Amino acid sequence: MTDAASHDRKDADARQKRGIRRTALLLGGVALLFYAGFIALNAFFR
Amino acid sequence: MSTIATDVTTASHEDHDHGPATGLKRWLFTTNHKDIGTLYLLFSLLMFFVGGAMALVIRSELFQPGLQFVHPEFFNQMTTMHALIMIFGAVMPAFVGLANWMIPMMIGAPDMALPRMNNWSFWILPVAFIILLSTLFMPGGAPAGGWTMYPPLVLQLGDAFPFLIFSVHLMGLSSIMGAINVIVTIINMRTEEMTLLKMPMFVWTWLITAYLLIAVMPVLAGAVTMLLTDQFFGTSFFLAAGGGDPVMFQHIFWFFGHPEVYIMILPAFGIVSEIIPTFARKPLFGHDSMVYAASSIAFLSFIVWAHHMFTVGMPLTGQLFFMFATMLIAVPTGVKVFNWAATMWRGSMTFETPMLFSLAFLFLFTIGGFSGLMLAIVPADIQYHDSYFVVAHFHYVLVPGAIFGIMAAVYYWLPKWTGVMYNEKLGQWHFWLSTIFVNVTFFPMHFLGLAGMPRRIPDYATQFTDFNTVASIGAFGFGLSQLIFAYIIWQCALARQGQKATAQVWEDPKGLEWTVPSPAPYHTFDEPPHVTKHDSFD
Repeated sequence: MTDAASHDRKDADARQKRGIRRTALLLGGVALLFYAGFIALNAFFR
Repeated sequence: MSTIATDVTTASHEDHDHGPATGLKRWLFTTNHKDIGTLYLLFSLLMFFVGGAMALVIRSELFQPGLQFVHPEFFNQMTTMHALIMIFGAVMPAFVGLANWMIPMMIGAPDMALPRMNNWSFWILPVAFIILLSTLFMPGGAPAGGWTMYPPLVLQLGDAFPFLIFSVHLMGLSSIMGAINVIVTIINMRTEEMTLLKMPMFVWTWLITAYLLIAVMPVLAGAVTMLLTDQFFGTSFFLAAGGGDPVMFQHIFWFFGHPEVYIMILPAFGIVSEIIPTFARKPLFGHDSMVYAASSIAFLSFIVWAHHMFTVGMPLTGQLFFMFATMLIAVPTGVKVFNWAATMWRGSMTFETPMLFSLAFLFLFTIGGFSGLMLAIVPADIQYHDSYFVVAHFHYVLVPGAIFGIMAAVYYWLPKWTGVMYNEKLGQWHFWLSTIFVNVTFFPMHFLGLAGMPRRIPDYATQFTDFNTVASIGAFGFGLSQLIFAYIIWQCALARQGQKATAQVWEDPKGLEWTVPSPAPYHTFDEPPHVTKHDSFD
């Protein structure tokens, strides 16, 4: 692998890691929001 | 034939070139998607037999009118536990196991995106089910108010109540983590050339299923948390005496419960969409329309929940909305069924075990779909509600639907997983016995329901005897037939008896999973593979 190719690969890996972290946090956040949100809505409108 | 050379796909860096750990440690601490897939599948098989044994207790008691073997209280525990175990312990983990094994290999990824969380999502499950099963030995016994956990009945449970709530929370947590892993993997880890519409249908249907899981599992968790606080912390979300509304629980539960039905069937749609083209030797008819149909089904699943509760009393407008919305689901489902039929049209078909299970799926799931349409009609549903007709309907959807889908997948990919070809003759025996007995078990239940037999009762009026006897004989036949399935899995996975499987296994199948050797190496695609025209699905 040339230096340039190796550099590109590292960049792609870093981008992928960022993507994984962001998607996972977003989905986890949505799940938590739905959980707490449903309970809160029920408490509020009861 | 794929153009990907085996040496490229299996090449690994020296620092990654290690096999699995040995002994118990391998399975406890594994972060490998194939190991975790295997754990999920084996756990699901175990739960399938535990839940099946409970079904046989139910069918033994119903063999004849009168009380034969068990107390009515225990009978109710069996119906409740059978449902919880089959849904959360057998069907859902089986699909997650298949996703773990196949999704990374189908999209050209080396593993799932979050491997440690993957390990955690699996190992939560046995804990959840040990907690749930332990309630059988508690004062007051196991949960007995039905898997729907309706208050105020569920609040009358004995010591089992908090254990039930905790185990449902754990199952939900496991599912949510599994779903996050699937979405994150598909979004971020596809090999560069695998664009979204080039993905196989199994990956697509799982992506949609995972979004459904993330949307509705927290809702179930919220509902059972509210049950818990009603029981122990003085709230009255669902207690009429405190100003709460028990019917609200039903709305919240079915807002989870209906999408849950699609969570259990969409991956099976994906499996059948993989298998039919392989054995018809034609590309899947209308791949993109299949994706849009699955997405439409998922969307519609959120706006039909109240068809489960037409009899609680709701405004006519509500009844009409939920009735028509439910009927609308037949449209995208019809698109799928006709696409599968069109795929087979003038195909060069052969009928190996995976194809047989897929065809049975097609015919028998459609019967379940039609009885679903009947139940969607409000005035008819008011008659059918809580009768054996409903039991017949959902068992047609779940047994020859979801479970036959899982069995088709196991036969289709087992040679890829183990490197050993299963015994075709035994597979065919398993198929024919299962298909005959599944109909002997569940078809008479339509008649029982239409004749007025209510569900969830341990005794019945004598005019229902004949059909019940037939159904019970069918259930034992179906149960015993599954021993052949367990034997075939043992033969391939442990005893390794049988012909060695080739990399392609079948005649020219499509997809990246067939470009790696059989058994699939412990690490695949350390270098991203190329997606050739042959292996792309657009």
